[in-house]
Amino acid sequence: MSIERDLARVHAPGEDGAEARAWTVVRAAYAERVPVRRPPRRARLLLIPALTALIAGVALTPAGATVGRWIRHALGEPRATSALFSLPAPGRVLVSGSDGTWIVGADGSKRRLGSWAQASFSPNGHFVVVASGSTLAAVDSLGSARWTLERPAVRDPRWWGPLGYWVAYLSGSSLRVVWGNGLGDRLLAAHVDRVAPAWRPGSADQVAYVAAAGRVVVRDAQTGSLSWRSLPGPKPIELGWSSNGTRLLVLSRDLARVYDAAGRPLSTIVLARSAPAHAGALSPDGRLLALVRGGAGDAVLYDVADRDPSPTRVLSGAGLGELAWAPNGRWLLITWPAADQWIFVRTSAGSGRRLLAVSRIAEQFASGPRARDYPQLDGWCCTRASG
Amino acid sequence: MNISLRPVPTSVETIASAPLTVVARGGRGRSEQALIRGAQAGSEADLAALFHRHWPRAYRAAFLIVHDHAAAEDIAQEAFLSAIRHLDRFDRRRGFAPWLGRIVANRAIDWVRARTARRETTDAGHEPVFEDAHQAVGYAPEVLSALATLAPDHRAVVVLRYVLEFTPGEIARALDLPRGTVNSRLRRGLDALEAALGEEPGW
Repeated sequence: MSIERDLARVHAPGEDGAEARAWTVVRAAYAERVPVRRPPRRARLLLIPALTALIAGVALTPAGATVGRWIRHALGEPRATSALFSLPAPGRVLVSGSDGTWIVGADGSKRRLGSWAQASFSPNGHFVVVASGSTLAAVDSLGSARWTLERPAVRDPRWWGPLGYWVAYLSGSSLRVVWGNGLGDRLLAAHVDRVAPAWRPGSADQVAYVAAAGRVVVRDAQTGSLSWRSLPGPKPIELGWSSNGTRLLVLSRDLARVYDAAGRPLSTIVLARSAPAHAGALSPDGRLLALVRGGAGDAVLYDVADRDPSPTRVLSGAGLGELAWAPNGRWLLITWPAADQWIFVRTSAGSGRRLLAVSRIAEQFASGPRARDYPQLDGWCCTRASG
Repeated sequence: MNISLRPVPTSVETIASAPLTVVARGGRGRSEQALIRGAQAGSEADLAALFHRHWPRAYRAAFLIVHDHAAAEDIAQEAFLSAIRHLDRFDRRRGFAPWLGRIVANRAIDWVRARTARRETTDAGHEPVFEDAHQAVGYAPEVLSALATLAPDHRAVVVLRYVLEFTPGEIARALDLPRGTVNSRLRRGLDALEAALGEEPGW
């Protein structure tokens, strides 16, 4: 038999199954390729004078003047510095916004990594996995792409593993995993909720995600085996492990649940309807839970070890955003989009100021005069000792 | 950072597979240009016809270059996704197959090079190994073994010529190589295959 005939006659292994799987992905990508129609720019421009007139009208009336003073007082820390000169704790901060992804050094220096919508650090912070549209990519600290991968509707990439083995990300309603070098991309779970997956630190392969009916599932990405799953519950908005991998926070609007690594509930905090949770994170040692609550607005700390944990307020203000613990667990970064500020709150005893504020955040993460959107917080790296 | 790979069992792929869709294989009798025009205009049926017309060869070519089922699936799939991304800008006067084949070949070569580079820096035990690749496939094992002895660039030239049926000129354009280099690689590849198989190739 000739080689030519051998090569031509083939029906490669798994060809049909691969074809069906690929068609599912290709069809989804095709369905999403139609560009989103943005409202005409003219219509948006017309809104500006209308809003300006409305605000002016409110502020110039006697009652409006009072409201204006209250807003100025309530929105933001008055002693804020106008630029970010340094972080109060070691590590680097990652943010993404309409003007792309930026990395902030401990000395306050900022570098734009590219036009990405979301990002997260690699385990030791040497690389960043980024996502935008249908592209997932790994970039170095200069923004150079090491690899890219195309999948439909990519979001919430998360990178973990002692040696950077895995990246997990959502593609549409699927949870997929890919090795840290961009190869071996595969489906881990279908029909998951749009909540960012969370790798369990200390375990190379365990990843938590939200399945149907609010169930939290922890699965081994290497073998696919189920580690544990929670009972159905309120729909989570956020998952997050403590940096030592001992505790998992499952945050819903009205409930904050903390599990141990084996899935046993450790603590449940019920939140008032008037103050629903917006964001939360466990401290690196898993001892403290920080929450941003809506309503009147505040950021609070809970001691998870308490049988009946009560909140300790560390910041008050309407329109607080996200939060991230410093790698050393001594500071908490709370974003404040409504005030265009970042607030650093010291959570441990020590000398010096307990609160540091930086204003004009949107402006500082704009590469041009027209970009003025407040960026989202993607992380404060690194929690590993080697980082 | 030291990034390495570990073997991933194929069972992972089936943990929670998305529902697969049975797709009608229409489009028979329609010209490729008509299918591309339809796909550009939003016809999923035309896209499906294009996909199913070109998938087998794209997957087969990728597999013959990388010798890894999962990687071949990824590479062929990525090629189609890339094609969709650039569909609106595609010049219908150009052939779809050469365009797709170029993407497949280049990505497959990159994959083999990356794997080779990793072997130099990582524990070999962490490499994905598909020991049953030769047995499970419709190819003669000796052909696969012989292909594996070729450098990826040479392997790609042979696969493009005899699986995707590119002309040497098309291969030169696809891989951005001089025509003479294509011919010499093709000749050396065939010589190596001949030596490995101990027979006179039938081409």
